Amino acid sequence: MSLVKAKPQKRAKTAHQEALAGPVGSNQMSVGRVARVATMLFVAAIFIVPIIGFVAMAFRDQDEVAAGEGGILGLGGVSWDNVVYSWSQVNGFGPGEGGLFLQWVGNSLFVAVIGAILAVVAAIPAGYALARLRFRFRRTVLFVTLLAMVMPNTVLVIPLFLEVNAIGASGELWPVAVIMGFFPFGVYLAYIHFMTTMPQELVEAARIDGLSEIGIFFQVATPISKQAVALVTFFAFVANWTNYFLPLALLSSVQGNKTISIGLQELIGASPLFNPTVAAGLNVKLYMPQLALATFLSMIPLLIVFIGAQRFLMRGQTVGAVKG
Amino acid sequence: MSQGTIAPPQAEAQSQPPGRGLRTKRQSAAGRRKLHQREVRGAWTLLSPYMVLLLIGGIIPIFYAVYTALQRPATPVQPEGGFGGISSFVTVFSDFRFWQTFGNIFSVLIVWLPIMMLGIVGLALLVHASPGRFGNTMRFLYYIPGALAGIANLVLWVYLLNPAQSPIAGLWNVMGLDTIKAVVATDGNLPFILAGMLFFQGIGTWIVVVNGGLNGIPDEVLEAASIDGANAWHTAWHVKLPIIRPWIGYAALMNLAYGFQLFLEPQLLDQVSSNALPDQTTPTQLGYAFAFSNYNFPAAAAMSLILLVITLGIGLLIVFRSGLFGEEEK
Repeated sequence: MSLVKAKPQKRAKTAHQEALAGPVGSNQMSVGRVARVATMLFVAAIFIVPIIGFVAMAFRDQDEVAAGEGGILGLGGVSWDNVVYSWSQVNGFGPGEGGLFLQWVGNSLFVAVIGAILAVVAAIPAGYALARLRFRFRRTVLFVTLLAMVMPNTVLVIPLFLEVNAIGASGELWPVAVIMGFFPFGVYLAYIHFMTTMPQELVEAARIDGLSEIGIFFQVATPISKQAVALVTFFAFVANWTNYFLPLALLSSVQGNKTISIGLQELIGASPLFNPTVAAGLNVKLYMPQLALATFLSMIPLLIVFIGAQRFLMRGQTVGAVKG
Repeated sequence: MSQGTIAPPQAEAQSQPPGRGLRTKRQSAAGRRKLHQREVRGAWTLLSPYMVLLLIGGIIPIFYAVYTALQRPATPVQPEGGFGGISSFVTVFSDFRFWQTFGNIFSVLIVWLPIMMLGIVGLALLVHASPGRFGNTMRFLYYIPGALAGIANLVLWVYLLNPAQSPIAGLWNVMGLDTIKAVVATDGNLPFILAGMLFFQGIGTWIVVVNGGLNGIPDEVLEAASIDGANAWHTAWHVKLPIIRPWIGYAALMNLAYGFQLFLEPQLLDQVSSNALPDQTTPTQLGYAFAFSNYNFPAAAAMSLILLVITLGIGLLIVFRSGLFGEEEK
């Protein structure tokens, strides 16, 4: 095992940082320091300003947007009345009374939650077995897991569609949830968790106490796996919620079974901004404020799980992870 | 495949490899063997849910794709299909769009990867050089765009790219572009727009990853450098950069693999620009078109396998060569 060693994140003020602050013992602003702070603030502004403008857009009125009113980033034109109106348009999308938006959100919740539960149920015991038990092909399983983890998840979507289509289940939600349950990154997280928090001696001691292998997992390993469960749940839910290509290939055929990620695409396609002919046949009008509101609303579940998982994320077990 | 997540270069315990702990000498060889059998059985029981999902979500689709690719597409004349040998691969390779789509990917990668790597390494070094609240705040702010993944990032960019209401409408006006169609479809713009979108949604999390690598550098090393008279530039260039090289390689390869599977962004940019872009800009879009426009499943499977081989190659490089995953998988 020669992975990089963990190191506590606490960083006392070291000589190197003092050197950055200029001559030792002085707080003078050096040119380098000013340049560093200015660069970082500039980049932060580039990242944040569009997002502020975009969120403001969800609170604006289309007529004002079209007329270019509303001041800087449209912040002058925000109001709750606009949101109420925009919501009536977003919610009105669909046959009859509409309501497709909420149905799509419900579908997303279904596949993302079931997928995350399956991922946890599979990943925690698998990670424990890979970290603390000896068996043939252990390295093979680990290797396959790592490989599956670093490859983009879209490359298998069409083969997965062919598989699901072969059993006649395309357009149904449950295959999507099951496929989302395959989450190698979660297995890797659980593996690292048991490697770092559960000493081999604990397993040996439990064996001497006469516990079965399964008993050790449930009575010794599971009680200390809260951190791993939280992280796997969080990363799996986020990946499932934002997954676009898999639901597109598997669910597009049934309008009512779409998830919100492909639903948003449909809203864009129904906007008079981009598709006047389609939009003309609708009794709702989806301009930029409505699209921004729909996007903003579709992110709220992510925000909630992020807040819920925050204290586990900050604990430093993961250095970081990237969605793709 | 991973549901769109990559592993962090991980901190690893200094614990012993499994099974090398306490073993009392009183245990006979036979008893030990029996114990080991129990251990093996326990391991596979615990692994079984994951193994089932691995089969459903990974192994079976790959084999089924190989099988499908060797079939003949069903046609109205020959609705049965049947064994077709490598004809589906011939269909894919001789499609006029095939090399074009890879050419498009390369033109995006050439613009995007250098900017991305420079951004990741530069900003991670800047954050690392800024201890305390300022650095942490900046790292958090850089992370925010990454939360807008996939379709949300796309809608944000539709907002930015539409001169009618974009906060950067001035830029588009200077370039003489007055509709989103003109912005997206004017020759030469697309690689830069895609690079911007990918940069925006990907940079933050990678800064956190590489920053994690920088935090792993022992303080003594940095102190020694500063005692030797190294200034911030020297330390960053001669000390920090060489140490985090594995993370940089890891980031480069992961992003390279990501580039090959582009789908959502070109697909939806085409939609918002009244189909002014080619319908199949990227290889994944081409595979999608084989499956869902032509209903040529063998060709779609063949296209997927070609992309699978490419990303598998990159994946093997990451696992074996990045130096981040230890010895256990070799």
